[in-house]
Amino acid sequence: MRTHLKMMVCAALLLPAICQAQMPHDAIYMNKNAVCVAGLYGHSTWSQYWENSLKRENLNIGTHTTQSVMVMPAIGISKRVNVILSLPYVWTSTSAGNLLGQRGVQDLSAWLKVNAFQRGGFSVHAIVGGSLPMGNYVPDFQPMSIGMQCRTLTGRLLLNYKHPATGLYVTTHGSYGWRSNIRIDRDAYLADDRIYNVNQVNVPNTYDAALRVGVLRRKWQAEAFTERTACLSGDYIRRNDMPFPTNNAKATIVGVYARVQPRNIGVNARVGQVIDGVNTGQSTSYTVGLLYLFNWKKP
Amino acid sequence: MNNRIYSFLGNLLILTGVVVGMTGCSKTIDESQPVAYLPTNLDETAGNWKTYVLTSPTDVTLAAPAATNSTTYQAELSDLKTQSKTLTTEQQQAVTYWGAGAVYRWNEIARELSARYNLPPASTADGKYPVPDAANPLADPRFPFANPPYTARALAYLSVAQYDALVATWYYKKQYNRAAPSTVDSGIKPALPVAAMSSYPSEDAVVAMASYTVLKAMFPGEVPYLDAKLAEHQNSRLWAGMNVASDVSAGTSLGSQVAAKVMARAKTDGMSTSNNQSVTGGMIKDVQTRGLSEVWVSQESPARPPMLPNYGVVKTWNFDQATMVKIRPDAPPAIGSPEFTKALDELKTIQRTQTREQARVANYWADGVGSYTPPGHWHRTAANAAHDARYSEVRMARTLALVGTALMDAAICCWDTKYYYYYPRPQQFGLKTSVGLPNFPAYTSGHSTFSGAAAVVLSGIFPDQADDFMAKANEASVSRMYGLIHYRFDCEVGMACGKKIGSFATARGKADGSGL
Repeated sequence: MRTHLKMMVCAALLLPAICQAQMPHDAIYMNKNAVCVAGLYGHSTWSQYWENSLKRENLNIGTHTTQSVMVMPAIGISKRVNVILSLPYVWTSTSAGNLLGQRGVQDLSAWLKVNAFQRGGFSVHAIVGGSLPMGNYVPDFQPMSIGMQCRTLTGRLLLNYKHPATGLYVTTHGSYGWRSNIRIDRDAYLADDRIYNVNQVNVPNTYDAALRVGVLRRKWQAEAFTERTACLSGDYIRRNDMPFPTNNAKATIVGVYARVQPRNIGVNARVGQVIDGVNTGQSTSYTVGLLYLFNWKKP
Repeated sequence: MNNRIYSFLGNLLILTGVVVGMTGCSKTIDESQPVAYLPTNLDETAGNWKTYVLTSPTDVTLAAPAATNSTTYQAELSDLKTQSKTLTTEQQQAVTYWGAGAVYRWNEIARELSARYNLPPASTADGKYPVPDAANPLADPRFPFANPPYTARALAYLSVAQYDALVATWYYKKQYNRAAPSTVDSGIKPALPVAAMSSYPSEDAVVAMASYTVLKAMFPGEVPYLDAKLAEHQNSRLWAGMNVASDVSAGTSLGSQVAAKVMARAKTDGMSTSNNQSVTGGMIKDVQTRGLSEVWVSQESPARPPMLPNYGVVKTWNFDQATMVKIRPDAPPAIGSPEFTKALDELKTIQRTQTREQARVANYWADGVGSYTPPGHWHRTAANAAHDARYSEVRMARTLALVGTALMDAAICCWDTKYYYYYPRPQQFGLKTSVGLPNFPAYTSGHSTFSGAAAVVLSGIFPDQADDFMAKANEASVSRMYGLIHYRFDCEVGMACGKKIGSFATARGKADGSGL
């Protein structure tokens, strides 16, 4: 059972479909034995944020920037079961003030995506994801920290209808995200307007919901989306205070996504804009990616 | 092929299982809770210990109690039986909470209030920083901004009021010597350990009222919160079957009288002029005359007026103004001198190569915005050490008063030094910070001064833990270099001065009649 990766110049002939998308939030699957690896660069900035619900700027931060590079393989276990992995390296900076930027390897994510039901163009998908922190980064030096150090487990139900003839589709999904407690370097901190005399911090669980409308063709895809992500509990940033992992962060995002992949090589891009939020930055973000399809050579 | 798929899926399931298994699903926070104890020593002669503000326990008065065989007392006993017989869950929780120690709990409450109020005011649209208003404490910005000097002072007055009140309490306990209710009547089943000493007045009621009075003045926006704490503490003594109503009311009267005298000192200690910003012009001119080529400038945008530039005039506890001037550290290196350049280069290297352990130390001791500040950190350390040692209430209060007055003296000396030298932060030479930049001059380090002072006092009280306290102080000191906001000389000189400051409190403790 020796396997090796083979470039897909000829694999395109062997496989009926070429490398499709590789997101844990779409209804697109890799074929059995196909692996699509995405190399992604992400860039996200905000110069205004919601301190609790007060929208403000901060001259001691100026524009806050988070950048990342990430490897994200999507693996076709079967045509109805895919696995998606990702591991980003993240770095932060500000245009003003004196907060030291942070950098490092963040969290390894794994998603299992199953097409559980398919009738005509309608399909139902069950998706489970988990993540583990890989780097020993500081989680509570907000807003400079590159992550929260949580272990997470997410369950997602995704419904999709695709019009077979035109490729027009609509996708909607909702998720529940469990997040572990974290440990910080301090042994006392303020949250919920009280002191916890311990180094353990309760990070609130999350939910998300999204609606996506787009066109999926053999060689390209275009989509417009809106997403709502929020915590199920948590406290609120106090007047002129900094954020903390216990905060109930909420955001509504709108954006567009596109992918072009005429052969084994492809590119994708996503642009998102936070239009409303609480305890969060009004981020403008984009991601660009290079996609490459490999094939497991059959024994 | 199917085997491979199943094995992969199996692995994935295992991974998922690992994620869940490693964490469990529980998200409760395990905070260890201190418990009640019987003191190892009752300190029965503490009524003779030297007080800070009172000249003698008889500065305050307390009426003689009704005898235990009087009808008045018997009626109180019968009432106590009813109150302590069956408790709701909330009442039981209150008994357990306050049973951990009256001084201990009020110190903890004060630290929490300090943390909650430790937020610098936001700037207004026209780039100004409004000053918190004691007469309107809940408006934006809230009063007080409980920064380190403010918190050092609030905790010092709290501890002094508790200590003076408890010395008076021990004095009157000995004089009136009325037994505990459960000793008088075995039908009373106390919920907490009962010490073999007089229960008139109730030391809990004394501490509750003294603490309440100080904290109400220090955190005037928290009166309803403090009212509730006071009432719960007083009631918990009845629910626990520990004190009859007249023990509590006598304690309340005594605590109130002592706290009034302590707060009279607070009102005239110079704090009201500590934020006098008009003095900075003269300070800058003086330091330039002495040769400083670059003075401290606020690195915030818009520029924020420096924190309490006139705090150095506040009245010290354990030495006088002349002594303070005498122990003020020598001048820091000239800007651009080899010593300065070496110190700055050391920070540049840390910025480039900061290890995770350095970041951990910087974060652990940061005690910045939203924390109980370094004075609060050391109060916590002191309270826990005294609790572990099963100190009596009066000895616990003595410990915190010695540490607390040393910390306030450290704040005064350090702020005097900071504004005397008006020395720039490393951020004026391009450094960043991983802990946040305080808005006042660099030299000397406040953390180092606080920590040196507190560690010396605690080492005197708990000699077997001296190495540990000194190691903690050194770590707190160097943490400010790891956080990139202090030069090595800020830390080392601050630490040395802090130790001197602490030794004055230690000397006072040696001479306070406690024999400790």
